[in-house]
Order: sequence, then structure tokens, then C-alpha cells
Amino acid sequence: MNESSKQQLVVENLHLAYGANRILQGVSMTLKPGEVVALLGASGSGKTTLLRSVAGLEQPNQGRITIGNTVLYDGSAGIDLPVEKRNLGLVFQSYALWPHRSVFENVAYGLRLRGVNGGEIDKRVGEALANLGLGALATRLPHQLSGGQQQRVAIARALVYNPPVVLMDEPLSNLDAKLREEARAWLRELIVRLNLSALVVTHDQTEAMAMADRILLLNSGRIEQQGTPEEMYSRPQTQFTAEFMGSNNHLPGKVTQLVDGRAMLEGEGWRLWGAARGAVRVGTGATGVIRLERTRIADGPGENRLRTVLVTGMFLGDRKENLFELGALRLRCYGDAPAGDGGFYLELPADHLWIFPTEVSHGTA
Amino acid sequence: MNARSFSLPRTTVVVLTVVVIFMPIGLILWQSLLNAPFFNPARHYGLGSYAFIFEDTDFWSAFGNSIVIAAGMVVIALPLGAALAFLLTRTDLPAQHWIEVLVLIPVFVSPMVLAFGYVVAMGPVGFYSLWAKSLFGDVPWNIYSLASIAIIAGLTHVPHVYLYSSAALKSLGSDVEEAARVAGANPLQVALNVSLPMTMPALFYAAVLVFFLGFELFGLPLVLGDPEGHLVLSTYLFKLTNKLGTPSYHLMAAVAVCIIAVTFPLVLLQRWLLKSAGKYVSVKGKATRQKLLPPGGWKWVALGLVALWLVFTIVVPISGIALRAFVEQWGEGIKLSEVVTLDNFRGVLDQTDQVRAIVNTLLIGVIGGGLAVACYTAIGLAGHRQRGGVSKILDYIVLIPRAIPGLLAGLAFLWIFLFVPGLKDLRNTIFSVWLAYTVVWLAYGMRLISSALLQIGPELEESARTAGASSRRVLTDVTIPLIRFGLLASWLLVFMIFEREYSTGVYLLGQGTEVIGSMLVSLWGAGAIDQVAALSLINIALVALGLGVALRFGVRLHE
Repeated sequence: MNESSKQQLVVENLHLAYGANRILQGVSMTLKPGEVVALLGASGSGKTTLLRSVAGLEQPNQGRITIGNTVLYDGSAGIDLPVEKRNLGLVFQSYALWPHRSVFENVAYGLRLRGVNGGEIDKRVGEALANLGLGALATRLPHQLSGGQQQRVAIARALVYNPPVVLMDEPLSNLDAKLREEARAWLRELIVRLNLSALVVTHDQTEAMAMADRILLLNSGRIEQQGTPEEMYSRPQTQFTAEFMGSNNHLPGKVTQLVDGRAMLEGEGWRLWGAARGAVRVGTGATGVIRLERTRIADGPGENRLRTVLVTGMFLGDRKENLFELGALRLRCYGDAPAGDGGFYLELPADHLWIFPTEVSHGTA
Repeated sequence: MNARSFSLPRTTVVVLTVVVIFMPIGLILWQSLLNAPFFNPARHYGLGSYAFIFEDTDFWSAFGNSIVIAAGMVVIALPLGAALAFLLTRTDLPAQHWIEVLVLIPVFVSPMVLAFGYVVAMGPVGFYSLWAKSLFGDVPWNIYSLASIAIIAGLTHVPHVYLYSSAALKSLGSDVEEAARVAGANPLQVALNVSLPMTMPALFYAAVLVFFLGFELFGLPLVLGDPEGHLVLSTYLFKLTNKLGTPSYHLMAAVAVCIIAVTFPLVLLQRWLLKSAGKYVSVKGKATRQKLLPPGGWKWVALGLVALWLVFTIVVPISGIALRAFVEQWGEGIKLSEVVTLDNFRGVLDQTDQVRAIVNTLLIGVIGGGLAVACYTAIGLAGHRQRGGVSKILDYIVLIPRAIPGLLAGLAFLWIFLFVPGLKDLRNTIFSVWLAYTVVWLAYGMRLISSALLQIGPELEESARTAGASSRRVLTDVTIPLIRFGLLASWLLVFMIFEREYSTGVYLLGQGTEVIGSMLVSLWGAGAIDQVAALSLINIALVALGLGVALRFGVRLHE
């Protein structure tokens, strides 16, 4: 929005624990001006705690948080700037609108605290409300608004004093599924149009991919992987990332050959080539993971194809999902299954079949 | 469940409730319209009794005093209670848990006992007064003035304000406060701009409640107002008993109606406010930890003020009673070591009526409390999950006894037992006192029961219905087992309330119906200070016993 937003947020090696419960275990990240970063993770991964630590609502135990030249928190120097001195905008999951103040007064409060004069407040609140399409609702009380309108007031309230970084805690989770998809596009557009720097917490990978320039995937208080949505989805480095970012088929087996980064995975009655990921070794157990949409129905036998039996099909509206079996394996894929006696060939292209060393799996796909 | 299912037990409960509520209030109204006691054959209808009291200047001065004291209590209790609630719910004040328990003690100590405690501790020759005199050469206070009564009443009613404002603050999502912090408000600004306005409905409710309680005040003005002749409406009514020599029931009834004319609208206002008090309760999306604001260096100042208040409202009166109970006499120039004795307690044990009072108090608390909870439960279940008009009416009529001060309710029940045929034999049994207590505390008991019933999700009962249970089986198999801990906790709270009660028993006091509370009023009137001190201490011990059990089992001291 202006110069103050041209500052970079840097978090270095942040640790936070409640007693023996270690929530953040050395998280580092940066948020460049004009960038949208999504903090993605399951509940308990520490994503909200990280956001609240940046806001000053949680007290980390060590590490450093800075914005430009301003130190917000520095464990070793004993600096912990009070929440109200950090000049950040935060959109709460529950919106946290003050029920006793009108829409106008909710948005104006941050400006009043900053000693802005009355005329200027009218002008800036008016602009903020107009930006969010709330111009006509200024005199309403929060309970007279719909969920979507409340969300926009919460955003206007966080933006009106031009904070260098806007923090959003699950900004879409309080909306209905239908509204959420529209709001996602609208929010992304708003962030780009106003050139905001935003840190967005979400547990929904689709939401993260749609809204963010970069995604940080958190797992038990550590960053599992970070990158652009495309990298995160198509080039996961760990099985955890692969599972979290999309829907997959799983093929547990054993590695029998390794050639040029390719691994041969064998199970009972099947063998497939795939892309080796991580420390895969010949003779050890491994899991083949492939996105549902990369698994396809083939017209006959061939390389990396499996003969399977169709168990059932499900109509999902925009497409069909089929369930096949091969021994103990269950494989799902989209598309129309041609009529037949129940025997089908599925192709699992080697480039898209990631082979991860078997370990205790985190979370579910 | 079917709203039209009027089973026999349910109808019985509803009819009995209506009878015990409307008999006393109806009797008072009727009596107030007669020109002589209603049992006097020469009585006839007229407004003579109203004319009499309206011409009495004492009535108007008592009315004025009641308003001054009630208003003074609001002015004192409201800011202190609200500040205390904010300190205990929002800051990291040390020893919060213990302070919270101590804060509630004045609610459970009989006002009669407290008032007596202030007399022996801070009266003209009280322990602390003489101590102050030895330090300053003079007693720098006079607890018998109208202002002192208002201050003492105000300070002892801080817990009521605290209860409602802390409940409101606790239900206030921390997110709205955090949002203000993020927007740039410091903790004080958060308190003034967000927390305070959002708890305003609860504070307004508490203000009306305290004013109402102030209007009903009896024990404190009876003991503290007597030396300088400050009357309030309830003590004016009490003095009327002897004023004309003959029973002046018609005059008392007229005063009673005047009191109810003020308190009943206040009760309705409270109910209406209680609904709006929940206006700002925010349902949080996620269970976040209540974020505590650090009060910084003010912590010790705040703690000091809390300690000062605790000393004044608990330590001073109770230590006064404890000391007075173990000395023969007290006054200027008396050395404590020379007058220490156990004679006061021996004196109590020598009097059969006083021993009976102690036994009766225990019985009415333990057994009577249990029976009262059983009655409240029956009424609660009669209206439970019923959408019909009957349960709505029940909802309102249980509020009526709340508007009748205990002293009046006791008087009305005396009349009922004296003149309703067939009840005379019960008049000299503790049953009469129990019935009056149970009706007087009906609204309180119903709140306990309904908050226990509210904890049960309707789907638990609906699933039992679906599985084939009749509505009665649902009550015995699902509802009652689920609220049993709530019922036990209610029993304990009602025990403490019944131990503490004093005014309801005053007119019912007779051979066989003695309880410590009414005995204290009577002994105080007779000037038997030694026995008042000993009985007060015993009364405190009984309440403390209940409090100890409640704390041991983690019973919440308020609903």
C-alpha cells in the first residue's frame, strides 16, 4: 500500500514450548514485500502458534523476529515488543469483531489509537470500506452482518492503518463451503490489487495453493518443506508433503533395483518403475505414491501397467472415481471405465510414481 | 416430548408449587386491605392501614434510608466488584484461586453474624476500636451512622457484583481483546474500550441486584442502625410488631406490600436483564487459552487493595466474633488474658432452647436442604423440555418468592400455620420453618437445578426416547443419573444457605422451631451478647464445614 509495507518479515530459529510440550522447534522463514505466504499444516503443527508469535500474542522461548529494521522479538537480547507496538494487522479466525461497535467504529479504532484526526479517519475508513465493498454498511452492528460481510469488516479493520504485514488466521474457515471458494478468489485478488504482504494460516492445501505465492508446510513444529504451490504439489521431497498436498494411491513394496534415480518397486504379483525419493536402497521396504489424477486407465498391457479388477465406481458430478483391486492393493483413479468383464489395465507413469523409503507415516492423505 | 402429557405427578408438583407460592403473598395482600388482623371478627375492608403508615414520619424516613443505603451499596460494590473480577480473570495476580474462594465468603456468612462481628470489632468499645484509641487517642470511626451502614453493606456485597462480572468476563472470547491489542491498544485501553463495554449488561444486572438486596437488608440495619435509631423498611416493619402493643398485622402487611411493590418490579427487571446479559457472549471458533494481561508493577498495588478489602469484610468481623466468644466481658481497661473463658459456650449448652436451635439448624441444613433440593428438582423436572404454557408460567412464578423478603415470608407462613385448619399442629415443629425456608429460597434453588439440567444435551434424552423409553423412564434412567452430581452440589449450597438464613425464622420462632439465625435476632434484642457471640461462632463453624466440603470436592460456589 505504501512504503511501510516494503519491509521484509524475517523469522529466525523460533522455539516455543509450554512446559514439556514443544510447539515450535526452530522455525525460520521470510516474507518478502508484496508476497503471500501460506502456513500450512495439520492441527497441532504449530502454524497458528507461529502466526500468533509474530503478532506477539504468544511468547517464544528463543529465536528472533524482525520486520525491516524493527526487532519484534529477540530471545537472546531479551526484546519482546508488546503486541500493540508491533503495528501489524491480524484477521482472526472468528473475526473477533467488537459487538458493541458499529462497522465504522470497528475499522476506525486502530486509527483512533494512533491519534489520527477525525476528518482523516472518515476518509481512510471510507476508503477501506469501499475497497472491501462495505460502503453501505458503515453504521451496522456486527450481528447485523452475514458471515462473509463480517469477514470483510475484519479484513478492513486489519488493513486500515497500513501495517507492513497482514496476518490471517484461517480467514476462510468460518464461511460455508460454497462461499469459501468465491471468497478465496476474492481474497487473492484483493491481496494482489492492494499489493499486501500477507502471512496466511490454513489447514486446507487447496486454499493454500490458491492464495499463496509460497507455501510453508509445518509438521510438528518444524518446516517440512517450502516452495511455490507448483513445487509443493509436483515435487514433494518427503512422503509427508506428498500426502498432505494431494490425494494419492499407495503401493507398499520392496525395492529390487536402482538405476539412475529410478527404482523398481515390487509387491505381490506386481512390479513398477518409479522416481526414487529420499534414501531408497535396494532390498529395503518402500512405498510407491502416485496422485490419483496421474493414475489412468489404459487400453491394454504395457510398461508400468497393472492388470486390476474393478470393484466399484462412484459418480462425483464433474467426474467419476473408480476403485480397482489387485491382490491386497486398492487403487483409485478418475475417468470412465470402459465396459468389460471387470479386468482393466491401469498405467502408473514412472515419472509420477514417487518411491519413498518406508517410515512411520505422518497424517493421512 | 408431548406438551399435552399432563401426568399425575407433574400436575401435583405444579399445583403444590402454585399453592405454596401464592398462599403467603395472597395472605399478605388480603391482610393489607383489612383494618384489623384478619382473625379479628370486627375486621372489615379498607385502606386504613395504608393511611396509617403513610402518615407515619418513621415510615418515610425508613423508606428514604432504604433507598440511600441501597444506592450507596451500588456505588461502592459495583466498581470494586468489577475491578476485582477484571484483576482475577484477566491478569496474572498471584494466589488467584485462593482469593476467589475468600471473595465468596461474605455471601455465605449470615448478615446478622457479620453485623454483630462489626459491633464487637469496631463498635465504640470493640476490639479494634480500643486498639485504635490506644494508638490515636480516639476512635476514628462510628459504625452506627447511616453512611457506615451503607459502606459495610456495600463492601459485603462486592462478591455479588464480582460473581456476575467475572462470569461475563470469562465468557468473553479472548479474541476480541487480542484484536484490540493487535490494533494498537495497551492493556488499560483494552479494558476500557473492549472488556468494560462488553460486560456492561452484566454490570447493569449486578447493579440492579445489589440495589434490590439493599432494599431487603435486615440484619445489618437491625444491629447497626439501632443505637442511633436509623430505621430501614424491614426494621420499621419489625418494630411495628411491638409498636401498638397488640398484634398490628394489618399495618405490617401494608408495609410488606410497599416493600414488594418495589422489589417485585426489580426482580422482573433482573430477569429481563439477565437475558440481555448474555448478549455479548461470543462463541469462539477454537478453544484458545485465556490470554492473561500482565498488570506489571501494579500487581502489588492491586493485591494490596484486595487484601485490604478481605481484611475489612472477613477478618475484622469474624476475628471480632471469635474473640468475643471467648471472653466474659469486654470494654475499656480490660485485659484480654484476665477475661478468657469458655463460659459463653457453657451458657449456650445450659439452655435447652439454644441447644435445640443448634440441633435444628443442623437438621434443617442437612435433611431439610436435601428435601428442598428434592422439591426444586421435582419442579425443575416438571418444566423440563416442556414447551407448553405451564412451564413458562412455572418459570415466572418461582421468581415471586424472590421479591418477598424472608422476614415477610416467615410472617406470612406464621399466619398460614395459625389459621389454616389442620396445620396448627405443624406450627410448633421445625417443618414450618423448613417450608418457609424452601419457599424463600425457591428462585435460588431453581437456578441451581436448571443450570444442572442445562448441561444435558437434548439428544441424550431423545435417543432414549427413540430406543423406546417412556418419558418417565427417560427421567429415571437418563436425566436424573446425569444431573446427580449437580444435585449433590446443590444440596451442599442449599445447606450453607439454610445455615446462614436468619430473617425467615424470626416470626416462626417458638418452642420447637428454634434455629440459630432467628435465635440470634431474639437474643440480640434481649441483649444477651455472650450467647450471641458463642452462637455466632457456632454458626460460622457450620457454614465453614459446608464450605470445606465444597472446596474438598471442587463444588463451584456459584451457578
